Amino acid sequence: MSTLYRWLINICLALFALSVVVPLLWVLMTSFKTGAEIFTAPWGLPHTLQWQNFVRAWQEAGIARYFMNSLIVTLAALAILLPVGAMAAYIFARYPFRGANWLFGAFLGGMMFPLFLTIVPLFLLLARLGLLDTLHGLTLVYVAYSLPFTVFVLTGFFQTLPQEMLEAALIDGCGHARAFWKVMLPLAKPGIIVVGVFNAIGLWNEYPLALVIMSSDERRTLPLGIANLLMVEQYQSDWGALFAGLVIVMLPVLLVYWLFRDRIHETMVAGALKG
Amino acid sequence: MKRTKYALLGIAVALTVVVVVSCGKQSPTATKELEVACFKGGYGIDFFEQAAREYEKAHPGVKIKVWGNPRVWEQLRPRFIAGNPPDLTYPGWGMDHWALVYEGQVIPLDEYLDSPPYGKTEGRWRDTFEPSLLELCQYQGKTYMLPYFFSMLGWWYNKDMFEKNGWKPPRTWSELLALCEKIKAKGIAPITYQGIYPAYAVSGFLIPWVISAGGIEAFDNAQNLVPGAWKSPAFLKAAQMMDELRRRGYFQEGANGMDHTGAQMEFLSGRAAMIPCGTWLHSEMRNVMPKDFRMGFFLPPVLDEGKGDPTAVGIGIEPWMVPTKGKNRELAIDFYKYMTSLEKAKQFVEQKGTLMSIRGSDQANFPEHLKEPVEVFRRAKTVWSVEYRQWYPRLGKEVEDATAALLAGNITPEQFVERLERAAEATRQDKNIPKHTDTRGQAR
Amino acid sequence: MTSQARSAFMAGFLLPATVLYALFVVMPVVQAFAFSLYRWRGISANRTFVGLENFRQLFADPIVWLAIRHNLLLFVGTSVVILAMAIALAHAIGHETGTARFLRAVYLFPQVISLVVVAILWMFILNPSFGILNATLKAAGLERWAIAWLGERSTALASIGVAHVWHALGFYIMLFAAALRTIPPDVMEAATLDGAMGLTRLRYVTLPMLWAVLRIALVYMAIGTMNIFSLVFLMTQGGPDRATEVMLTYLYEQAFKHSEFGYATALAVVNFVLVMALSGAILALFRHNPQEGRA
Repeated sequence: MSTLYRWLINICLALFALSVVVPLLWVLMTSFKTGAEIFTAPWGLPHTLQWQNFVRAWQEAGIARYFMNSLIVTLAALAILLPVGAMAAYIFARYPFRGANWLFGAFLGGMMFPLFLTIVPLFLLLARLGLLDTLHGLTLVYVAYSLPFTVFVLTGFFQTLPQEMLEAALIDGCGHARAFWKVMLPLAKPGIIVVGVFNAIGLWNEYPLALVIMSSDERRTLPLGIANLLMVEQYQSDWGALFAGLVIVMLPVLLVYWLFRDRIHETMVAGALKG
Repeated sequence: MKRTKYALLGIAVALTVVVVVSCGKQSPTATKELEVACFKGGYGIDFFEQAAREYEKAHPGVKIKVWGNPRVWEQLRPRFIAGNPPDLTYPGWGMDHWALVYEGQVIPLDEYLDSPPYGKTEGRWRDTFEPSLLELCQYQGKTYMLPYFFSMLGWWYNKDMFEKNGWKPPRTWSELLALCEKIKAKGIAPITYQGIYPAYAVSGFLIPWVISAGGIEAFDNAQNLVPGAWKSPAFLKAAQMMDELRRRGYFQEGANGMDHTGAQMEFLSGRAAMIPCGTWLHSEMRNVMPKDFRMGFFLPPVLDEGKGDPTAVGIGIEPWMVPTKGKNRELAIDFYKYMTSLEKAKQFVEQKGTLMSIRGSDQANFPEHLKEPVEVFRRAKTVWSVEYRQWYPRLGKEVEDATAALLAGNITPEQFVERLERAAEATRQDKNIPKHTDTRGQAR
Repeated sequence: MTSQARSAFMAGFLLPATVLYALFVVMPVVQAFAFSLYRWRGISANRTFVGLENFRQLFADPIVWLAIRHNLLLFVGTSVVILAMAIALAHAIGHETGTARFLRAVYLFPQVISLVVVAILWMFILNPSFGILNATLKAAGLERWAIAWLGERSTALASIGVAHVWHALGFYIMLFAAALRTIPPDVMEAATLDGAMGLTRLRYVTLPMLWAVLRIALVYMAIGTMNIFSLVFLMTQGGPDRATEVMLTYLYEQAFKHSEFGYATALAVVNFVLVMALSGAILALFRHNPQEGRA
């Protein structure tokens, strides 16, 4: 009974792992095929490796430029987001005040509202501030929209840190702010890294905000470039280039994720458990 | 404490810098600048960019910025609301064109249409357009949009397959049924279609057969929301014809779950013999088309004793317009006049392989796959267009949903026409929906 | 440090985040709420105040009810499957062996990649003529089962559900695996010594210990399925004949295809309230751990 059960579970484990890996390998394999091959033999091996797919994706969609833009916006957003988010989370976690629940709730509520309806008011606002179609405008918007998740997870993180450390620091004559930067923030580093990586992945993949805010070709981000490719392919059926584009956008994300996977798991789960 | 202050200060400074820097950019320029925003579909936007460079060369002091992408309408919407639209735009199929007209966001063009064409001192620009296409752009007697290229709707067949088996493209309903039986016997699906997007079935099956059964008036009345028109005998007959093809198993199995490229790929790979599609089919599939693939175009087979004109052909346009709040109206018009000159029109036909709305442009060298459609268009005595879909998007959606249900065998032809009439009735009763009338679809 | 200084410190730390959030998120959301009281085509600055008219229409709109039904079906269907699979599989990969860690990492892949890729992948798998699913069925002699999964009214919604489960399952496996690790080993051992095995152990030992996580997981799933959009939009467009229409696809149709921006924002408000209500209901319903009461 017990062995049978174990076998059953092991088979399930393997099946799910296969269901994840096989399709991704399939995308990789498909990115080397011709359009006709993709449709006539979608699961067959490519006849010859179509490296041109990648060349077309890289050149026609101008992916090199978009890659840089995405990198700049993502890093800049993180550089503002992480300190700003950590500061707020720290207060929520450690300094109870009247209205704290209310404010915290307001931060979380933002996660439940369908994003694309705020796009028109947001566009008008950015137009008034002169931030439209600028990388720094997009960066600020990204920071704002990433705050709910960041504050949520980091608050949970600061709550787990031992109170004694803070008290010791305060007794040593540190101010509250100094205690935060010198003692608490370094202690929360694992949490910061995870939040950073998660936001990096999310911002790297972000599409609707960038679509409406950016209009100049030379300032587009990578998802805009890929979506562009996807749409164009729908009119031209160059599916090989499309899949090559998908690989280009997926690889960095998977790579970053793979590097930080253990840490992400621990904290992702830790944050969720406290919910 | 200090740290906090610095952090706050930093953010404040950053915000200020951002605002100041971006404001500084809006300095006036000496040259006249024109912004043209285009939908980037199967034909790309390179042709318009090229035209802009040529126009700049001929008109020193003018700078034209042409930009576009496949979902340009999403970017244009907030710009229309904010009141800073481009000077000239081709917003693409995702834009609700008529809403722009109702809101006064685009200008009526008749005054300009009555002025001379590009580079001429006499004649009317209006007369250079194919009149039946210009009529599609009118509302309450005024012209708000301008056609550029246009597409024709019909059926395509696999030429090699037909020749090898000695089949001929069917002209009538009885010929169609007989042919389908033969094709099916060969183990090939007679007809496939783009099931996930039922609009193809509406303009490929439903409307042509409504017109065949009840004449063009049957369709005009429906578009004009005449009570009862959507459940007229002509609509019922057309629905019964679709239902009969389904019951006889002449549609490819699984077509109801295929997207456009999927179904078109079935056709190209020889697993289906015929498919309804517009004249864009070739350019859409050119990257995956087998090198020696030959396809032919024909009108949907008509009823043997049909009332309608058997030469009637469905067309579609993707219009351009001039926003009311654009900054360079005259220049925008003049540039569009340049783009629609006979010379540019012929170039477009030759480079892009599609039909143009400019008269005389059919004298250009058409690519092989367009020769049959051009012939069909020249012979056509009646032209129709699925206008209710743009006029009344909600009715259009319900017609498409009902068509999908009919083709899947979920509803009977009788239930089908009842659904259509109910949707038309709802539109008719809704006072918030501006109504259109059309007397088009008549003789050319 | 005085209490004044303490307040200044707190305000200083909260301010940057609050200002950014209020300016770029709260203000647009509030404005969007306001739009729900207008008839507005969303294409010019003109709009007419109509009060609650949009909401009145909305409750009389049969498609809204259909969409809500589909959202709830997706929630119930996918959460049952996800919970069952996640709890069963979490058991097996909770250990700190190399294989378990490798599998955990792999299981999260679908979460990390863009939903666009997920949708394209499943469209290719479910394709009626060359998809791998039908190819397999035909090879197994089950011709009759090889249907147009996304084209049939009876299977389209379930197909979307499968894609959603594929996308989300990894996260919940991780969640439960971590929760299981927090159960003290001696509790498990004691239960095993008492002769509690398999289902019995699951019911009397594991589930009660997992209760808190279960609650949170259900709330996450409710938020996820009530706000589902990309998968449906890309895979079926809400079709065939609205068989997969959900709140956000209908909202998209109203806003961008029918130019009913006011009505669409009213839909967003209703959906927002629904998500909150559903989350609240789950939290209330699962407040008391039934096993704790007995012990």
